Amino acid sequence: MSETARRRRAIVGLTAPAYLWLLLTIFLPLAAMLCFSVLTVAPIGGREPALTLKHYAAFLEKDFYRDLTWRSVRLGLDVTFWCVVVGYPAAFALARHVRGCWREALFLLIVLPFWSNGLVRVFSWTIVLRDGGLLDRAVHWVVPGAGALDIIYSYPATVIGLVHSFVPYMILTCYLSLQAIDDSLIEAARSLGASAARTFLRVVLPLSLPGLVAGAVLIFVPVVGSFMEPRILGGTQGIMLGTVIEDQFTTVFNWPLGAALSFILLAIVLAVMLAALPVLRGRLAGAEGASS
Amino acid sequence: MSRVEARAVRKAYGAVKALDGVSLTFEDGSFSALLGPSGSGKTTLLRAFAGFVTLDSGTIAIDGKLVNDVPPHRRDLGMVFQNYALFPHMTVAENIAFGLSVRGAARAAIAERVEAMLRLVRLEGFGARKPRQLSGGQQQRVALARALVTRPRVLLLDEPLGALDRRLRQEMQIELKQIQREVGITAIFVTHDQEEALTLADRVAVINEGRLVQVGMPGEVYERPATRFVAGFLGDANLFEGRVAGGRVAVGGGAIATEDALPTEGAPAILAVRPEKVVLAADAAGLDADLVNRLEGRIVQAVYAGSAITYIVEAGDRRLIVFEQNRAAAPLGPDTAVIAAFAPRHAVLVQP
Amino acid sequence: MSRLSQALLGAVLVFLYMPIVVMVVMAFNRSALYELPIEWDTVWFQALAGNERLLTASMNSILIALANTVIATVLGTMAALAFARFRFRGRNLMRLLLLPTITIPWLIIGTAMLVLFFWIGIGRGLHAILLGHVALSIPYVVIVVGARLAGFGPALEEAAASLGASPWQTFVRVSFPVIAPGVVAAALFAFAVSFDQFVISYFLSPPGVSTLPVEIYAAIRKGFTPEVNAISAIIILVSMGLMLAFARLYRFGGERGS
Repeated sequence: MSETARRRRAIVGLTAPAYLWLLLTIFLPLAAMLCFSVLTVAPIGGREPALTLKHYAAFLEKDFYRDLTWRSVRLGLDVTFWCVVVGYPAAFALARHVRGCWREALFLLIVLPFWSNGLVRVFSWTIVLRDGGLLDRAVHWVVPGAGALDIIYSYPATVIGLVHSFVPYMILTCYLSLQAIDDSLIEAARSLGASAARTFLRVVLPLSLPGLVAGAVLIFVPVVGSFMEPRILGGTQGIMLGTVIEDQFTTVFNWPLGAALSFILLAIVLAVMLAALPVLRGRLAGAEGASS
Repeated sequence: MSRVEARAVRKAYGAVKALDGVSLTFEDGSFSALLGPSGSGKTTLLRAFAGFVTLDSGTIAIDGKLVNDVPPHRRDLGMVFQNYALFPHMTVAENIAFGLSVRGAARAAIAERVEAMLRLVRLEGFGARKPRQLSGGQQQRVALARALVTRPRVLLLDEPLGALDRRLRQEMQIELKQIQREVGITAIFVTHDQEEALTLADRVAVINEGRLVQVGMPGEVYERPATRFVAGFLGDANLFEGRVAGGRVAVGGGAIATEDALPTEGAPAILAVRPEKVVLAADAAGLDADLVNRLEGRIVQAVYAGSAITYIVEAGDRRLIVFEQNRAAAPLGPDTAVIAAFAPRHAVLVQP
Repeated sequence: MSRLSQALLGAVLVFLYMPIVVMVVMAFNRSALYELPIEWDTVWFQALAGNERLLTASMNSILIALANTVIATVLGTMAALAFARFRFRGRNLMRLLLLPTITIPWLIIGTAMLVLFFWIGIGRGLHAILLGHVALSIPYVVIVVGARLAGFGPALEEAAASLGASPWQTFVRVSFPVIAPGVVAAALFAFAVSFDQFVISYFLSPPGVSTLPVEIYAAIRKGFTPEVNAISAIIILVSMGLMLAFARLYRFGGERGS
């Protein structure tokens, strides 16, 4: 057997199992869903479907779906905003003001909850935010006679729960790009007469921008598609694109409509990722270079 | 001990020709250097010997047997890698034993042989350490022992001393040469360092842009560079470009005499002169008679480097570089008028 | 470390851990209505031991996570080896194809799997859930093992080959021992991904069959009881423990020192 044939056999043998698996579980399903989204009814149980674009048309014609989509996008923007507000300063403090083993320990502590069960963490907020829960009691202890807090089952509760779920992402990505900034760059800026604030704006912020953008994308995308968090924490204010899609598949059983809505969601996600690509491409390339 | 032959080997990576028809023979027991700038193809050639590069065309033979289709692990070669590639999860002894143990040698035989190798590279007592606990020079010696333990037919070394600092490199050069002689193995090493090639090897093959430019003994290659590239890459050279006129080469401001056979009258020719062959004098009276090539000029710059001084001399519209031993009481200062002189036998005709 | 930084990081840590701590503490409160002051009791953990549904779901979760770990680690490591050691056409595209699994919301992937599996007759059930979990885990395994492979380059393998080791001997005696910490880290990660996975399992579990997170979701929507706290406390400790072990092995992208 020739060297090239041996090589090819090795490559195919090593990669084929994983990619056949992904084909069956990721790519074919997405294709199947695309098919479903243009059918009148699901072709299951002997029903005869016809081709239609009515599910996509419904999205364009009915205010309900447009509002829904906007609600989900706004939720994504709000959560991303608060993650930046909380996460960037924390990452900055960690990267530039903490040294040695403290830094490693703190970093681990911050990202640890992120890799634990999201459902359980959202659930934990219901214990804290419920009427008569920890927050309620704390507020009434400080301000006796204050009215009911009424924060659970609301939009703010959903935002709090999601920020809690996703802020470690922002801290992680910002930290990685902030700690990569050479101290001498900052010293150089200062020696050239830039104030601390100016140094931050002109040197630190631009250099950490890829981390900020990566974090924002990694947060915005799943939040737009979230359904479990709004369901548990949002109450009646928790109706989002995600929850409506969930309903189509689990209670209403209008799969073609659910598929169409999923694809609209996917389009939003792809648009956001494409928009961020120029900034992220450099980052990915950089990571590649650093690792090889 | 073996003879290694490459015949018309070619290898391209996309549009880049890493090897463009190289033919080269390495004799039994020789110690040869593949010398060239980075990207010249020298490492590709070495890796082709080892079997890590599949050739587009051409043949490689060891002891007259074609090995093109023999996979690396059946070629029976020893190789020392650029950053040593010591197995980090094994001890020094396990690293050295590896080649014997994959061949299924007996435990006792392995232990004995490993001890012998540790003695050879002067690392007795280091067997139980992990590679990362060793200094760069020690790691280098482990890599050498590991490559030699199976008594391979040929030893290949990829920039063997490149990762060491200057002082250690000089020590290891001597040691490496000693070990090669002791074992008597055919060895081929790759380097971009001309000094290393000249010191270590008994044959130097200069490679540039995927082609073999010149091959010969170190003195030969240095004293009689075949091309303008070799003259410039191995050490420094003053180049005189002109046309053949009356048995000399006419250049701007005079004609240079040489002992080399020149092309026909009027043809272009380039002469190369090593900087240390040029003598500087204040006036013609102090110069030997055989230094017939004389250029008047003045010193532009003198660079003091301890044992030697490098002068930049401006003669007409050309600049000459001249090395002198630091023997004079005081180096010549800038703007001193001098005569730069050299003998015809030191003006070497080189190909463009 | 400046005061401001200390205060900021402290506040973030409180924000991150407070609800988790409260939840775990409440699991030990005897009161079913989370009343204060806390009366310490393990009554809810005992109730858990008698809850057939939760126990079955836990068993399912563990079995799926174990099977997922084995399959995803093997397949992912193989692919990582191919990417690290061969340059071939389509290599970059193939690596890019790993991203959708990580970046597309699970909701979309989960519903898409539901649609296809129903359509072609795979249906719902533990087997379908396992199919989905492995798909989610493979990209992480490729990334984690790939980082480890990138850390030592092909030189070690070439060294082994030059010393006479066959490709199989090279893998067993050199490549695998060197990437082993990465493989173990990837396996831990794969286990955690599966054990914590809710969305995919939720869409692919038929009535009567479920995993732990699916069961918890149902319980939360019915109304909270400290029993849910108790099982949640167990889950969160398990997944954090796994991640701590992972972090020790992986060190977020390479070994320290060396």
